[in-house]
Amino acid sequence: MRPIATSVLRPYVCPSCRSARTLSRRKFSSKPTSPAEIYDVVCVGGGPAGLALLAALRASPATSKLKVALVESQDLDKARSFKLDSQHFSNRVSSLTPSSVSFLQKIGAWNHLDVSRTQPYQGMEVWDGETGSKISFDWSSETSPFEDLQTVATMTENANLVHGLLSRIAASGDENLSIFSKATVSSIENGTASESGWPDLSAWPVLSIAPAGNPPQSTAMPSRIAARLLVGADGINSPVRRYADIATDGWDYQRHGIVATLSLADQVPPAFPTGTRTAYQRFLPSLGGPIALLPLPNNHATLVWSTTVENAAYLKSLSPKAFIAMVNAAFRLSMPDLQYMLRMERPSSTPDLNEEPHESELTWRLQHTPPVPQLPPMVTGVQENSVASFPLRFRHASSYISPRVALVGDAAHVIHPLAGQGLNLGLGDVASLSSTIEYAVNHGMDIGDILTLERYTADRWATNAKIGGTCDVLHKLYNVPGQGPVAWGRSLGFEIIDRLPFVKGFLMRNADS
Amino acid sequence: MAPLRPSARAASLLFRPIPHRYHSTSATTSVSASEVSHFSSLASSWWDPMGPSRVLHLMNPLRHDFIASCLFDAPSENTLIAGANPNPLHYLDVGCGGGIFAESLARTIPLPESKTETGVETVTRAASITAIDPTSTLIQIACDHARKDPKVSAHLDSGRFRYVNCTLEDVVAQTSTSTVSSLDGAGGELVQREDGFDIITLFEVIEHIDTNASISPLSFLTDCLRLLKPGGWLVGSTIARTWPSFLINQVIAEAPWPIGVVPKGTHEWRKFVNPDELKRWASEGLMRCSDLERGSVMRSGSEALNGMRWKCEGVVYFPGLGWKFLPGSESWGNYFWAIRKGV
Repeated sequence: MRPIATSVLRPYVCPSCRSARTLSRRKFSSKPTSPAEIYDVVCVGGGPAGLALLAALRASPATSKLKVALVESQDLDKARSFKLDSQHFSNRVSSLTPSSVSFLQKIGAWNHLDVSRTQPYQGMEVWDGETGSKISFDWSSETSPFEDLQTVATMTENANLVHGLLSRIAASGDENLSIFSKATVSSIENGTASESGWPDLSAWPVLSIAPAGNPPQSTAMPSRIAARLLVGADGINSPVRRYADIATDGWDYQRHGIVATLSLADQVPPAFPTGTRTAYQRFLPSLGGPIALLPLPNNHATLVWSTTVENAAYLKSLSPKAFIAMVNAAFRLSMPDLQYMLRMERPSSTPDLNEEPHESELTWRLQHTPPVPQLPPMVTGVQENSVASFPLRFRHASSYISPRVALVGDAAHVIHPLAGQGLNLGLGDVASLSSTIEYAVNHGMDIGDILTLERYTADRWATNAKIGGTCDVLHKLYNVPGQGPVAWGRSLGFEIIDRLPFVKGFLMRNADS
Repeated sequence: MAPLRPSARAASLLFRPIPHRYHSTSATTSVSASEVSHFSSLASSWWDPMGPSRVLHLMNPLRHDFIASCLFDAPSENTLIAGANPNPLHYLDVGCGGGIFAESLARTIPLPESKTETGVETVTRAASITAIDPTSTLIQIACDHARKDPKVSAHLDSGRFRYVNCTLEDVVAQTSTSTVSSLDGAGGELVQREDGFDIITLFEVIEHIDTNASISPLSFLTDCLRLLKPGGWLVGSTIARTWPSFLINQVIAEAPWPIGVVPKGTHEWRKFVNPDELKRWASEGLMRCSDLERGSVMRSGSEALNGMRWKCEGVVYFPGLGWKFLPGSESWGNYFWAIRKGV
């Protein structure tokens, strides 16, 4: 825990130790400094979580009067001018659950998104590449045949979401709002009491910010800002979390997630009812994780393939044609076939013949593989420069709060992407924190006080731990190759869940909480 | 399932501060010295969110909810005028202690500099708050804590928020004499408002008043009602004197850690007040108040109670969940009460 001069949170610190802490802190605050500009909420990080928090605060009548600031090191003007044609999609796409979408609707942000670029899907096929056991997620068991099928989730480009949130915030006016784009936080320290003794900011976080980039732009930016409540939406290596001295626990999965934007062949037979789309996920236990194909508009799809670091490097080095062949193979071929194909010699020079070795290998092997009913349409193309990878990690902060500090999104938790829940958890944090702040404003509470913030951590910590833990267990279960007892057990679980509609409904509602 | 009593905020309501600045007519001390020293020993941990006053801090938002429900039931006259200041109410917090309620209420007062704030109706509709307590250490703690918040500090500077180290009798005496000459020296602070207060709060106070020949909860309530504007609300909270409240407040809540949540010696069960007693005293107080206002030898009858409203709502502390309103529990545990003076 960071030293706190006045607000003594931990009752087990004896009085003499408290005074020692105070003294050691004072040594650092003796340097001459300009007075800090005081804000009610300062959010570090302008990703989806940070911007959603700002948009939520601006949307509520009670919190719209708060003086808020956001500090982001990237250039938000680029996000504001986000524009792509309807045949191209960013490779950073998230699957938003219905409750995330309704939260975005509630704060008035959803209308600012380009909805034609989002793709809801109504069904999800998940199966085990080792044993073939499968499960189909949709709401058909809870929907009458005369209603439209409910959405399982909506695929949304992160850039589209950020763009929509920024224009929602812009639409709320600029009173009491400061967005410091291209600004870096050089330090966060506790403030000091002013000459007259008050206001006494000795328990308040004070950020030193500076324009980033060379040459620094000449915008009006205060060098020091004090925060009644400092929100860390600043990602896995959160400086705010480090300042608050909140411990974080976790591990690296030694896996990478490969993403790409793909185009698909027409579905045969066409989907029924017309216009419904399906997501596909196949667990590949021998290859280190699942491959998922999630629908985008105009017969496009986004790929998320979690696999070992070596496999990821191999896949990224392939030519587009070979990459497409590997993705199609990963949904269709058996584990030994795939392992063989992932070790194939890559053509050293330009492919002289129009026959690509991976393609011909796939064609030949498919003739000897019995087809399964739930296959996705064939992938026909990969968007240029869209293949990328990122390391998979698990992190969970020991607490989300400290006096005058709250963490949201990746700063608080990073989970395995196999259920597509990462951004949804972040938006859940934001919904909870913004309603906590609203309650505090309406009840005269100090929004940075621990008595206020403990409502937020009580609401979110266990939920996030539950979902993150479930994803972790699934990852571990589906990394046991072969046909041993673990494979048998997990397949039995799959089959049972698939046959019991109420269990499935319960699981789906939980994933949407 | 526990009607717990949060540790009381100001034990020493009628205790006179020693360096006293007013010529006051009342000279009675009704709170025992042991109770005063009990709360003085808690003073340093008053604002520790995990300290002995935690249960009290957790109750504070419900006070706001209860006041909001009173304002909803019977809005003050001057909040109904169109185009007028949407937040016109003047509050008096009697027995403010370390300022848990007073500071939270001050935070809802709009800053006049802020255009976005002043035009909008707040939940509390507060324009100002004066908080009084006779114990100087508590007033000092309250002031020191308020200075840590720039907004509250600005209200202290502007006088919209004031802490005054005095007794309720001092305020009444000022109002009745209403001559500045009765104050000795320039340092004297005047609490008086010409036309009284819109809302007077009395949270966790009434059960700490000793009954003797000259002081009783009745005379105390009468004094509060005298300071209230017609149509204003006197709002408070206390505990009913029943066997469940004895068991929970005296035996369980004051048990040693980790079972107990309030410090030992905080409560004296026999001083607890039942809702029907409170309502009787308050009605009697309104009649006495009317007598004093008329200055007539004729005693007021029930006409003094015209337009009076009475509200009472029980609250229960659920460990792990916090305080919840629970209708019906007022007859055996903690409860909020309010009385509105007729117009």
